[in-house]
Amino acid sequence: MQPSDPLSETLFALADPTRRAILERLSRGPASVNEIAEPFDISLPAVSRHLKVLESAGLISRGREAQWRPCQLEADALKRVDDWLEHYRRFWTGSFDKMDAYIAKLKKEKRK
Amino acid sequence: MSATLADDELLITRIVDAPADVVFSLWTDPEHFRHWMGPGKYECREARMDVRVGGAYRGMIYADDTGEGWFGGVYREIVPSKRLVFTWKWDSGPSGELESLITITFAEHDGKTTMTFHQTPFLNVERRDSHIGGWNGAFNKLGEYAEKLAREHAR
Repeated sequence: MQPSDPLSETLFALADPTRRAILERLSRGPASVNEIAEPFDISLPAVSRHLKVLESAGLISRGREAQWRPCQLEADALKRVDDWLEHYRRFWTGSFDKMDAYIAKLKKEKRK
Repeated sequence: MSATLADDELLITRIVDAPADVVFSLWTDPEHFRHWMGPGKYECREARMDVRVGGAYRGMIYADDTGEGWFGGVYREIVPSKRLVFTWKWDSGPSGELESLITITFAEHDGKTTMTFHQTPFLNVERRDSHIGGWNGAFNKLGEYAEKLAREHAR
């Protein structure tokens, strides 16, 4: 499945433990592919493939220097996830407020 | 960037002033469900539920300015008055086509129920299993970093 919209693409990229670990590494600062690969028991090409997914999801960017293309975390894509969650948070919190009111009404009717 | 990223998976805990079996029925009885589903101006106009593991539910909330919003999913776990797990997906809109998993637990104390609502974004059921439990640690750190970036950016 190849997600088409930006949010799905971001979540798709995040739905992999290795890619999340890579992002965690990059949250401590920019790093080269070799540095990123170091703690993982996977090949450099495999790391590169993960980086490509993260880059196309906008979660990281790569430097332009030919030799040492450092990867760094991009906050904007995470903001999309945050907005999505916030939308749901408001949705449910608002519904639960109504749930409280409904329960109060049920109790009142029962007392009659 | 707001601070909500730190708890990436949506987690809402509410103490509801009713016994657990009642609160559970608010989720599983369509007649009850219609009375509270949808925030503010939204009105739940449709709710159909086949409450058994593998069974489907479907509902619709309506507001004059936004029209009909349909949603639905499938039940994954049902433990009466204790636990309810189901998938959730909007038919359309910003999170259309994106399925998520909702887990609600109910714990009764002195006639009140602590309802814990948890929602995790994932693309489909297969992927869910690959990343459940993995979001938190990564996101906490990413959240801190993203906020730091945003602060630096604002300077």
